[in-house]
Amino acid sequence: MSIEVRGLRKSFGRTLAVDDLSFTVAPGRVTGFVGPNGAGKSTTMRMILGLDRPDAGTALVGGRPYRSLLRPLTEVGALLDASAIHPGRRAKDHLLWQAHSAGLPSRRVDEVLEQVGLSAVARKRAGGFSLGMRQRLGIAGALLGDPRVLMFDEPVNGLDPEGIVWIRELLRAQAARGRAILISSHLMGELEGTADHLIVIGRGRLVADAGVSELVSAASGDRVVVRTSQRSEAITVLANAGATVASTDRDTVTVGGMPGERITALLGAAGVPFSELKAHRASLEETYMELTRETVEYTGQDLTVGEVR
Amino acid sequence: MTGFLRLMRAEWTKLRSVRSTVVCLVFAVGLVALTAAIGGSGSTTDANSSGPPHADSVQFAFQSLDGDGSITARLVSQQETGPDAKAGLLLRTAVEQNSPYAAIMVTAGYGVRWQGNFAPDVAGTVGKAPRWLRLTRSGGTVTGFESPDGKAWAQVGSVTLPDAPRAVAVGMFVASPPTGLKNVRRGPGATESGPDWTVSTAVFDSVAVVTATGAPVDGAWQNIDTSGPLPELPDTEITGSFTRDGDRFTLTGAGNLGLLPYGYGADSDVVRDSFSGIYLSAIAIAVLSVLFITSEFSRGVIRITFAINPRRGRVLAAKAAVLGLVAFVTGVFSAVVAFLISQPLLRDNGFRPPAYPDYSLTDWVVVRAVLGTGLILALFALFALAMGTLLRRGAGAITLAIGVLVFPFIIGAFLSLEAESWLRRLTPMAGLAVQQTMRRLDDVITPGPGLAVLASYVVVALGLAYWQLRRRDP
Repeated sequence: MSIEVRGLRKSFGRTLAVDDLSFTVAPGRVTGFVGPNGAGKSTTMRMILGLDRPDAGTALVGGRPYRSLLRPLTEVGALLDASAIHPGRRAKDHLLWQAHSAGLPSRRVDEVLEQVGLSAVARKRAGGFSLGMRQRLGIAGALLGDPRVLMFDEPVNGLDPEGIVWIRELLRAQAARGRAILISSHLMGELEGTADHLIVIGRGRLVADAGVSELVSAASGDRVVVRTSQRSEAITVLANAGATVASTDRDTVTVGGMPGERITALLGAAGVPFSELKAHRASLEETYMELTRETVEYTGQDLTVGEVR
Repeated sequence: MTGFLRLMRAEWTKLRSVRSTVVCLVFAVGLVALTAAIGGSGSTTDANSSGPPHADSVQFAFQSLDGDGSITARLVSQQETGPDAKAGLLLRTAVEQNSPYAAIMVTAGYGVRWQGNFAPDVAGTVGKAPRWLRLTRSGGTVTGFESPDGKAWAQVGSVTLPDAPRAVAVGMFVASPPTGLKNVRRGPGATESGPDWTVSTAVFDSVAVVTATGAPVDGAWQNIDTSGPLPELPDTEITGSFTRDGDRFTLTGAGNLGLLPYGYGADSDVVRDSFSGIYLSAIAIAVLSVLFITSEFSRGVIRITFAINPRRGRVLAAKAAVLGLVAFVTGVFSAVVAFLISQPLLRDNGFRPPAYPDYSLTDWVVVRAVLGTGLILALFALFALAMGTLLRRGAGAITLAIGVLVFPFIIGAFLSLEAESWLRRLTPMAGLAVQQTMRRLDDVITPGPGLAVLASYVVVALGLAYWQLRRRDP
């Protein structure tokens, strides 16, 4: 089962929250859904769940609109907002009404509480829970129906390091079981090592939809990092030869638009010493900054420039 | 259907698992019980101090009859001011109010009746005027007859009057009880109420007073209002009149004669009054009902609810069903508790037969009032739920729901009496009529229609809530 979003559009008043958004969340892998705060991630998720009515476009789960699913909780488990809890209600009761509502046996409640590590506080009122505990409780609700699609909105928010490791393992394990997983974050670093695939949006529009490795290499470009003790001489030589040069550190420069062999030749001819020459590899965070910066710079223009396929 | 029962079970789990529910329900029951206890111990009446409730205020045209004899007359016509309008023949041991008497009369609604000294009526035929009537007196025994033609006579009743003197007063009388209540607004919230007397005119002819030997008695006719002039609002008095034109005797007057119906002397509905804490518990129920839905909206729990059950109308229906049942049970329980607390207290304080009815929990009117209290709370809960669904904000919805209940009470005091009675018919408070256990003249609406008015508000509110729920993203 997969999620398919086609041409989704939604505006709130004069603000266009989601603009002609299309992507697919495939089973068996973790898809990261990334964008700055207010980019339209939560709105998109609500439209997938049939909560918000799109102005245009469709969102299908397993080929059908969510609202036509017979037993939605056994098809899609969602965590939209960890604070969507009545503070006066015990954790167990919060899950129990969901189980009743979906026609699931009460023992599922104990099972998911065990699975998210909240068994000890099952009888405690949720108002006293930390954000991390609330995230776990929300995830427990999403797991109740053992669904084939999982959708978490900012689940890492408020989790302690142990919790982050836990959710990574949970997501990897669910993906390994063939589940389709969509997990949103405004910090790409949170998804490093978790997501296989990334959907990047900015201002409601798709910026990138690609595998993590593809994205990183695309963001890295064909740039070369040169380590040298005579930085300014190196910059002068290479820039004069037509390369774009940026000094990135005290003893390194990043060179674009020039193959490594030519750099070696030029520096050798000019007598500039250098100790290391390597291809640049951007981190996920850098890639993200690169991509979302463009969405800010090119507002109102065609944004397909950021799309990498 | 099992799907809907699942939904109801889920909503019940939500409702029972938060503390505010318990708090609101304890308040709802507790306030009714407390009000019943305070009202029951604080109210007293002396309605039974002057014996069974009865009336003796008639326009009486009479002459004296010395020794045995009889009076015969034909009631030619009677103005039918109400079913209890009375005109006929009356024999009294004295003209002073509440003297022993016997009377044969025609009533506008119940045919010929016999009254023997404040004993319950005896029915004659169902005939109306013109009608021949006769009273005969033999010692202390008075007997009443009726006849359609003055030839064939039938006895209707007989009574022996205690300590009957030799000379008694015999003659014709007319009475016409109030059919409504007259209210005068003295100022905002200050209303004076009194009986709205009607005046009936009766015409007699063929009047013959004779002694036991058949000799005509031809004394002088006099007339009197046995209770004196009747006071009426705003500040007037009603006096009867008597005119004689040959053989034609015309009497006009207001008033009533005889034992009053069971519980008639009661000027307050003790069962309904003991449930008056319902207004306070309605507030607690409104808070509970509004929070039941707005707490989901304010925290986003509603999105979980609708993600699990995308059919929003069914969710609203399940919420309404659960809330309605809980409020109904709360209302019935509070009413039973209030009844059991207040009735013994009230009975000790004078609210007892014969002036006041002696109701038990199994009497139909009490059953209706108790179940009705449950229905009122249930309907009110649904109204508040609809307000919460429409506004999605707790404070606003609670204010609106309670405002709709309280507003007519406050504004009504500043309106004309006519406008106020329409307010009481057309606003949701009309539903409170179901708590009536007796017919009072100031009731503006009966239980069935009253409940229907309240229910239609609920139906419209829930309809709007459903429409809004479908239209607006949660």
